[in-house]
Amino acid sequence: MLVPKPHATAIAGLLALLIPGQRSMAQNASELETRLEAGALTTSRPGQIPQSAFSVTPGFRFATPRFTANGSASGWLGAQQWQLGDANAAVEASSPLLYGFRAEVSTTASRIVRDFTMESDQIDAQARLHYLRQRGGLWLGAGVARPLRVAAVSNVNVSSGGVWTKFGPATLRGTVTSFLFTKVASRADSLDGAAIVCTPHVSAAPGADVVSAADAVASGCRHTSRLTDVEGSVRWEHHLMEVTVRGGQRFGDRLDVSSESRQWASAQAAVWISRQLAAVAGGGREPAQPMRGLPARSFGSLGLMLAYWPIPRGTVPVETPESMVHAFALRSAGPNTQRITARIGGVEKVEIMGDFSDWQPMPLIRRGRDIWELLVPVGPGVHQINLRIDGGQWIAPPGMPTLRDGFNGEVGVLVIGR
Amino acid sequence: MSMARRLMAVLVFGVCAVSVARAQDRSTVAQQIDPLGRLNEGARYQIELLLDSARVAGLPTAPLESKALEGISKRVEGRRIVVAVRMVFRSLRDARSVLGTAATADELNAAASSLRVGVTRAELAHLAQTRREKSVTIPLVVLSDLITRGVPRDTASQTILQLWQRGAADDDFLGLWRGVERDIVSGTDPGVALLNRAREVPPRGPPSPPESGSRPEGTENRNP
Repeated sequence: MLVPKPHATAIAGLLALLIPGQRSMAQNASELETRLEAGALTTSRPGQIPQSAFSVTPGFRFATPRFTANGSASGWLGAQQWQLGDANAAVEASSPLLYGFRAEVSTTASRIVRDFTMESDQIDAQARLHYLRQRGGLWLGAGVARPLRVAAVSNVNVSSGGVWTKFGPATLRGTVTSFLFTKVASRADSLDGAAIVCTPHVSAAPGADVVSAADAVASGCRHTSRLTDVEGSVRWEHHLMEVTVRGGQRFGDRLDVSSESRQWASAQAAVWISRQLAAVAGGGREPAQPMRGLPARSFGSLGLMLAYWPIPRGTVPVETPESMVHAFALRSAGPNTQRITARIGGVEKVEIMGDFSDWQPMPLIRRGRDIWELLVPVGPGVHQINLRIDGGQWIAPPGMPTLRDGFNGEVGVLVIGR
Repeated sequence: MSMARRLMAVLVFGVCAVSVARAQDRSTVAQQIDPLGRLNEGARYQIELLLDSARVAGLPTAPLESKALEGISKRVEGRRIVVAVRMVFRSLRDARSVLGTAATADELNAAASSLRVGVTRAELAHLAQTRREKSVTIPLVVLSDLITRGVPRDTASQTILQLWQRGAADDDFLGLWRGVERDIVSGTDPGVALLNRAREVPPRGPPSPPESGSRPEGTENRNP
């Protein structure tokens, strides 16, 4: 039985995007960022009249070294009516770094609206084990997603892995994500009129394992889908330009992966014309999200971005080892001896090293919940010192002048009076 | 397996374990005696050459050894360690040519560091000319840090030199540094932060007379 091929392509164009932003630092180790986006968007689908709307999207992001929360929701004004558009709320937490490994958990609630009528809501949770190096890392994760109001009858099991590395101004990222879910077979599953394979215990006719699309829909035949997405991306930042290019390939059964979603690619670029104004442009193709009932689409965007930065870019400390050190002090503890006291919360190991130790790491001793201490043999003069938290990168302790170390890092300069 | 064989196996295993442990101990002790032993042969040879050159030139070798050990502890590739040590050697040599043989090891180190971040030999010489028995270590440490934090080199050099000529003390320079650091973190432009904070430093003594016409040793070349 032939089933009409569904329109799975939508073209969206973003005409303008204005982003006034505001950043403020709650305290040294945390950051609160608020954002307001405003713009206009137009979508068109074959056979439908293009629709336009004015959108306003407030958002926020709160980050500490161990916890991040962010959210945004857009309101669309079209045909003199407000409508809730895309929305997103997410929280993420991570463990301290131990031997380069970090555990991360996250949960997200999201809403995607396409063409003003096609809505999809989903809740998902994911856990990842991330191995971090100075210029790269890799991670493995697993999670579960629950789409709402779609023909899914099971949670979506998501397993993923990825690797990233930095080459100068470029960040390369590769991910493999596998989806496994069961849903009620629908006409959308019978692409090109192909038959649906049912699992034997729910097949429409006893003993049959192949049924027609119509029978499947009528009988509520369940279909287990397996998809694997392999995606690669390059993000390149250089002076006033930021470019992101991504492309991917989807693997899976012909019934699960439409020809329109086999490959995709997109690119986005932002060119900062001044500190407050950037031109942004992007376009490409997105694959379908069958578990959410969203078809593949092409998109394009062009606009201007206005930004307001009370604090210059690059000076807001977010999730840096330096921001975890709330205090670092030295006091004389006798001739040629100094007592180092540091207040660093939520970490497992703190070490220092310097010219006074022939650059051999010396672990500090925990003297309370957040207090770390050590007596070190340091005589009068000018010394160089580094600090390391949980086996991470060697950094210059705060509260003292610094110097470049010649190895792409910094050392603190310790001045001990005579 | 008979009891005798079991005993023999345990004995052999024990001897092997002790041998391995002792070998590891010997290796650890050897590394403690010769900390550069962890470098590969080529890198080590290059660094030994630089150490010899420093001895011949009458330069302190401790900063060179220290940089090599720092690189080893930070697990830096041997080739990059050699580059860093060579840079320290050259900057020490240049610093000594400007400051003279009377400079202390701390002064030499601080001057070498400032040369490495872009301070010119002429600027260093101006500072050294007016030191009047005072150590230039702290002003140079602060100067290097300010440049590293994004203060334009000319602004940083001129401001530090002016304060130095006005008789600013070590505590003044360290206080200035703290203020500038706070301002930069708060979002102030680094150059503006330095100029603002420098105005708050009280004059400590009469400015030294300008010594135009005299060209100190080593000012004919730019920094390396």
